[in-house]
Amino acid sequence: MPATLRAERGARLAAAMAAEGIDVLVVAGDPWRSDYLRYAADITPTDGQVFALIEREGHVQVVAEHPAEAARFHSEQPDLRVSWSPFPIEDAEAATRSFGRRRIALAPLAAVPYRLATGPLASSMASATAMLDRLMLRKSPSEVDALRRAAALADEGYAVFREAARIGRPEYALVADVEAFFRSRGCPENFQILASGGREVRGMHPPTERPLAPGDLVTTELTPCVEGYYAQICRTLVIGSPSEAQLRAFAVYDEALGAGIAAVRPGATAGEVARAQNEVFRRNGLGDYVTSEYTRVRGHGLGLYVDGQPALLEDVALVLEPEMTLIVHPNTYHPEVGYVVHGDSVRVTREGCEVLTRTPRQLFSVPTR
Amino acid sequence: MRAAGLGAALIYTSFARPSAVAWLTHFVPYWNEGLLLVLPAGAPLLLAAFSKRMQGWIRSVSHVGEVQSVSNLGRAAGRLLEERVPGSAKIGVLELDALPWPVAEPLLNSHANRLADVTALFASIRQPADDTEIRLAQRAADIAVKALGSIPPGVVRASQVLSAIEGSARLDGAEEVLPRLAPDLAAGTALRRLEGDLPLGERYAVELSIAYKATWVRLARCFSMNAPQSWLHAQRWTLDWATRISGDAPGPPPGVITFWSLEACIGSKPFSVVASAIGPRGTVSAGTLSCFSIKLQLPDGPWLGGAPVVIGSGAPGRLLA
Repeated sequence: MPATLRAERGARLAAAMAAEGIDVLVVAGDPWRSDYLRYAADITPTDGQVFALIEREGHVQVVAEHPAEAARFHSEQPDLRVSWSPFPIEDAEAATRSFGRRRIALAPLAAVPYRLATGPLASSMASATAMLDRLMLRKSPSEVDALRRAAALADEGYAVFREAARIGRPEYALVADVEAFFRSRGCPENFQILASGGREVRGMHPPTERPLAPGDLVTTELTPCVEGYYAQICRTLVIGSPSEAQLRAFAVYDEALGAGIAAVRPGATAGEVARAQNEVFRRNGLGDYVTSEYTRVRGHGLGLYVDGQPALLEDVALVLEPEMTLIVHPNTYHPEVGYVVHGDSVRVTREGCEVLTRTPRQLFSVPTR
Repeated sequence: MRAAGLGAALIYTSFARPSAVAWLTHFVPYWNEGLLLVLPAGAPLLLAAFSKRMQGWIRSVSHVGEVQSVSNLGRAAGRLLEERVPGSAKIGVLELDALPWPVAEPLLNSHANRLADVTALFASIRQPADDTEIRLAQRAADIAVKALGSIPPGVVRASQVLSAIEGSARLDGAEEVLPRLAPDLAAGTALRRLEGDLPLGERYAVELSIAYKATWVRLARCFSMNAPQSWLHAQRWTLDWATRISGDAPGPPPGVITFWSLEACIGSKPFSVVASAIGPRGTVSAGTLSCFSIKLQLPDGPWLGGAPVVIGSGAPGRLLA
């Protein structure tokens, strides 16, 4: 990550800590919940637990569970004080005690381990997590720039995916082509799930050995990462020419995606964006298929985590603000054709939103040869 | 569990901590979380934070009894324990200290006096690896060796290395591919997670971790168009020591050992350091599936190596790569 972005986030964090009266922030993370560590200390764990103890003045102490990770963090940021321990929770606890009577807070709730959460910092967790969430929701110009580049990469990745989708190839071969492409472009991570088949398909999953067959709907969600920021695209393709039923179904998803994106503007709630999408399904007699029985969310926040806040669900009251970034995706099961996905990454602007992904919104068809 | 007087055991799983539940059920939650309830008899029960529609997929890739889709793992586990494990029997929790607070808090509220950490108990039964796990590890090692062999000669950018590795390993069925790269050994031996791209030095090193059907291996190799003879000696000595890691080193090393570690899966994470240059954490039993890593300062520069090995019993262990 550019040092300028690191410095910019460090300054925002220091100001927020000052406003909250926090002298030292202890941030926990691991290879899955690395988003808060990325924001607060520009650290991305790939192995084991990691704790960063961040003083408001900028000094950062890191406790890693693996020696190779500790060496990596130090090489990436020589100013960090890094140690490793097979018992990182105990070491983080001891390091925290060394700050004595300074005002210490612990975050994020999702990653704080039981032992630390039941200690003296328990009462600080909710507010410290909320502080970081506020910082991470609205993106700076540099962060938006990284998201734009991630979105462009997602578009290119989907083109590779379409080329890779051919009869007889197993699902994992498609992922191989996409991942090799992303690596060739310097992308260190991509969250991808997919599915292939027909009415029996109820959702996406990691790739299996199933070979693609004529008539399959092939769905995927690609989420490449640039400088830590994830953008996502969801598209569906057909092996061969789409059937009438597939085209009819797709038209509903396309309308829903358009309605959802049209609803994204400052002052709207996450719930309103979800409702705009769901109403399209209800008008088409598909109201049952926007319930939790068949789908999870109608989109979600994007940033340093692949599935960030806010969740786009009708009961979520969070108000959208400029420079929030989201994926809008009315993905769900369709009783005639199976699971369909369709989604674009967007940035909330002062007037409405900017769509970051550019792949045409169509039901793609790939040759059966 | 019987010997420890446990009424049940709870094991958390996530992308970062998949290994214990995968060992027991073959289930890996990838982008979500789960909590496995193991009772003294019967198939384990999985609480999963996935929506109900994903239950078919969960069943198709794992060996579990009941699967329940729940929104709050800890609360659901608390209710389930009240129903299925009444009384005061202890409830073992793997890595209780590390349990994420959103999962731990409701459990603490409902069963605080019954929870007991069973990390040491689990570690005591996790190894040695059985034949099936060793065969899966061998397959993972073969995938990794082939992937490293797929790096085109004469590459000049890190992205070329990583793209070749990723494509090869995924095409061979690897579920996870975690490469770390020291792009220029003349500049340093730290293994980096690369964002963007970097030019390669004349000598570079790759550490590659691969998961195949939830079984992980890790190995490391150095690369150069003009590999010195000293690398061959270092590789031979390292592999010899790796097979005898529970005993003495096989004679003097070909250079100064600047770091070594032995990792094995003994809990929820794929790799835990069980012995290292700064002091062993515990004894490594015969039959343990482990990964040995080493850094040597040779007379003509640094060298990194590593390989998966099954620890031997009295005789040399078995190298998988």
